[in-house]
Formats: sequence, structure tokens, C-alpha cells
Amino acid sequence: MAKIKLSATPLDVNALYQALKAPEYGGIVTFVGTVRQWTGDIETQSIEYSAYSEMAISQLEKLAAPIEAQGARVVIAHRVGHLELMDEAVFIGVAAAHRAEAFEWCQYLIDTLKQEVPIWKKEFDTDKVRWGD
Amino acid sequence: MKLTVKLFAMLGEQLGPTVTIDVAQPSTAAMVKPALCQQAPALKTLINNARIAVNQEFIVDGQQVLQSTDEVALIPPVSGG
Repeated sequence: MAKIKLSATPLDVNALYQALKAPEYGGIVTFVGTVRQWTGDIETQSIEYSAYSEMAISQLEKLAAPIEAQGARVVIAHRVGHLELMDEAVFIGVAAAHRAEAFEWCQYLIDTLKQEVPIWKKEFDTDKVRWGD
Repeated sequence: MKLTVKLFAMLGEQLGPTVTIDVAQPSTAAMVKPALCQQAPALKTLINNARIAVNQEFIVDGQQVLQSTDEVALIPPVSGG
């Protein structure tokens, strides 16, 4: 079963990575999304993430299950709460036998997370507060 | 019947984490947004841009009949990651 969590405390990227390792895997792809300062000329100061937690976790489990059914391992962690610049907002890791499927599944998971998982960001910018899109 | 709808993000901020609506029995998932719009007409655009989840699944069919025990939620465009 994939390791999936929402965390109110900083993500321990190294521990999440370690959880992906196993002798059967030869390729581990991780994606880490962090809080960026500039989006065009909008300057972000901090971000607050909130979630519909139970549904977010069940959606993520549904995304990970078919990947794990093909023999890979999936670790996903997303922050909730208040984040500063450079803080890790999301970690997606896929360990697979070979790199090609690890890259493909990791990209699929982050792209789909951004469309289908009920997590929201509220951005505190220098000019105003915005709900993310 | 009375139905409690969970709200999130900008909708939750405006209306609180849950709102109770009164709908006919039987009611379908498609009837949730019009009932909410009637209660909060100023938020019509936000409400109509949201998706509906029943028991933590996005609905695939608005004709799905709701029970008063269902967990119904309005999901504004998500922005995780």
C-alpha cells in the first residue's frame, strides 16, 4: 500500500526518499514542489495550504494503487498549514525497476494531483491575498 | 430533506465550513448548486465553478440520488502541489 500523508509539519524529504528504497528497484524518481517567490511580477511571501483531508488521501490512494499494482512503490506527502518561501509543499516519489516508468508515473502523479486532489493554496502576495488556481 | 454541504477554500471562508440546505426528497446531486446559489446569490459564480463530491468521490452523474446521510461537498478548483 502506498505511503500517503498530509502533514502539518515540515516534510522530511530524506526520510520520504528512504521509504522508497528496496532491492527490486533500480530507478527512483522524486519530485519536490517548493514555495516560489516570483510568478511573473507577482511576489509571493507565504502560502497557506488547506485540504479536504479524507478525500485528498483517498484520491491519492486511488491514483497510486494502479501504479503499485504494476510493482512500483509510491510515496506522496503534501503539506497543509502555513509555508514560507522555499518550504517543501509536496513530495512525490516513485520507485520502479527501471527509470522510464519511474519518470512517467511520477509526472502522472503530480500532474493529476494538481487536477483531482482537493487541496487548496491561499497565497499571501506583496500586493494582495489570492486563492491559487 | 435537510442536507449538510461541506465547503472549502474561498467558499468555506465566505460561508463557513458547512452549510445546511433544504432540498426536495428525492433530490439529485445536480440540485445542490441551485439550492446553494439561492441561499448565497452573491457567490453564484464561485458555486457554479465548483465540483460536487458525494461520499468523497467526484460525481460522474448529476442524476445520482442523494440520501440525507450522504457526505456532500463542494470542491472549488483545486490548487495543490
